[in-house]
Amino acid sequence: MVNCHAMEQWHSHLLRERVDQSSLVIQGNRACALGALDAGVRFFAGYPISPSSEIMEAMAYELPRSTGVFVQMEDEIASIMACIGAALTGEVAMTATSGPGFSLMQEGIGYAIMVEAPIVIVNVMRVGPSTGRPTAPSQGDVMQARWGTHGDHPAIVLAASNVADMYRLTMAAVRFAQRFRSPVILLADQLVGQMRESFSPELVGRYRLTSGDFDFTPTYIRPDLAREVRNPHVLGEGVHPHVTGLYHDETGFPTNDPEMSDEFLRELYNKVAHHRSELCLYDVKNEGKGRVCIVAYGSCARTARAAWKLADEEGLPVEVLHLYTLFPLPVEIVQQVARRVEFMIIPELNLGQYAHEVRKMAEQWTTVIGMNKIDGTLFTPREVLDRIAELIGKYESV
Amino acid sequence: MPLAIEKFLHTERLPHIWCPGCGIGIVVSAFLRVAIDLGYERENTVVVSGIGCSSRACNYIDMGTVHSIHGRALAVATGIKMARPKFNVVVFMGDGDGAAIGGNHLIHACRRNIDLTCIVLNNQVYGMTGGQLSPTMAIGDKATTATHGNVERPFDLCRLVEAAGATFVARGTAANIRQTEMFIKKGLQHPGFAFIEAVLPCPTEYGRRQGMKNVVKMLDDEKARSVTKLKAAAMSPDELYGKIVTGVLHEEKNVPEFQRTYAESAHALTRAATEKAPIPEEEK
Repeated sequence: MVNCHAMEQWHSHLLRERVDQSSLVIQGNRACALGALDAGVRFFAGYPISPSSEIMEAMAYELPRSTGVFVQMEDEIASIMACIGAALTGEVAMTATSGPGFSLMQEGIGYAIMVEAPIVIVNVMRVGPSTGRPTAPSQGDVMQARWGTHGDHPAIVLAASNVADMYRLTMAAVRFAQRFRSPVILLADQLVGQMRESFSPELVGRYRLTSGDFDFTPTYIRPDLAREVRNPHVLGEGVHPHVTGLYHDETGFPTNDPEMSDEFLRELYNKVAHHRSELCLYDVKNEGKGRVCIVAYGSCARTARAAWKLADEEGLPVEVLHLYTLFPLPVEIVQQVARRVEFMIIPELNLGQYAHEVRKMAEQWTTVIGMNKIDGTLFTPREVLDRIAELIGKYESV
Repeated sequence: MPLAIEKFLHTERLPHIWCPGCGIGIVVSAFLRVAIDLGYERENTVVVSGIGCSSRACNYIDMGTVHSIHGRALAVATGIKMARPKFNVVVFMGDGDGAAIGGNHLIHACRRNIDLTCIVLNNQVYGMTGGQLSPTMAIGDKATTATHGNVERPFDLCRLVEAAGATFVARGTAANIRQTEMFIKKGLQHPGFAFIEAVLPCPTEYGRRQGMKNVVKMLDDEKARSVTKLKAAAMSPDELYGKIVTGVLHEEKNVPEFQRTYAESAHALTRAATEKAPIPEEEK
């Protein structure tokens, strides 16, 4: 309640008055909603689901007050399709959900990719298949985010590890969606979504990452950049395009021509693949000084960072590669790190979904070891360190 | 001399994919005549469809056209209408598309009374996939997935949407297209959710399995089975069995429309927010 009030105060000020902003204690899901609003999201359609509903609640509160549109739809399928409809008119649209809803959205995600609709889908992950445990965190939807919808397709997937990330990566997601005219999936989990942390809006503008500085000033969102990647077809605005999920040529009309079909899908694929350096956000801690690298994303990156600090005190040579972008695969940085470390250890709240991807990229140079948990609890830094110590010991005893 | 409706047609994309005798084109032409009559502009008119024979109408109409995914046309249309209230948004759906896979979106669009015009092209069969059982198919009808005769009760779509809250409900046939055209016109002018069911022949996938060898037979059958709303009122359920009740079956005015209600409430909030006194110092 307190946080809701704080959000209302701060956000209203942010939108309408420039005032001195002090630090806030705010929930991750609310920070996501703030990030969306500040990034220019003016359309939200969603369906309630734990543990993501607070995003929707915040949007329901804010959007009608700021010339935006909020609709609570009849299900998640309708939610994503309404977002696509709005995106086709040039709006920046967003929806938020959790595992079961994310499963329902998959066909819509494929359609958004095909028609190049810029939408943001936030998936606050819960543990397990089906209903699972709605109030426990996991990272079980990583491969679904990549390959959930049918057919070969490109994917842009980001992962948030704290409350500030929920704000900043939502902004990044909006930017990527607009620039690449593609759905962007932001993965969070129950922990990151529902935890409260102090969050200073003043720090928002400066986001220093190893992959490059991120500038979150208002000029950050530039829809015109999209034209660089591919011609947008926006309904209204003097044009009357045809939009279809069928293979289509540059006129927008369906084609069965094999050559055109090939060209069409490869172009969709390459618009993401060819901009990997721009899309891949990551941070390296203790760069070049570790024998072991902890590769982590989402809430596990919190554990990784804490483990690194602990390792520093104990004299263990540990590097951390914190990935903010999971897909497209950050091939360059993973291979760069893989060349210099003896082990890569990947703590994940799933049965090794991303470790498998890292293994594909890195096993030529290093040993990739997964640590997995699916019981709805987190790794402690100690657990990770113990495993590292064990591995180093084993390695030295050989 | 070119036909007037060519104004709104991608003539370069013709001939269309529909079979000889198909009724979809008859209804699409009727819609285009109404669009010309009402002075619609292609820049602010959007036609949304799902997947199926009916949904291919989007391929030939020269307006903003969105050929979406199976059953979800109304959800897409809701997004478009809410984002751009000034657009005329028309939805073409089939019976399977709209009433089976898209049934949930249909009843909720009715409940919201959002200002869309939804034209359901009801041919009582899944045509594009090869003649499977549809939710509007009569008991006893034959289909590729009901080879021994359909044992499921069909939907009465007009009664369904009326109960769900649609504020304009009409049913016409391809056989009596002038009347259907009039219903489409009324529907487009209606400030709320307008539902028009057009019963039409599918000689290829439906008619031939019911022993109707050509479309003339099918249209004659449609005419023979059609009864007006007035006549139907005096008929018993037994007499009405298998009949097509045509007419404007339901019309309600002055029911709050979703987009306008939202906009008014949002406008009041924005006004309240700008007029709000500054937050006291101690609360900051």
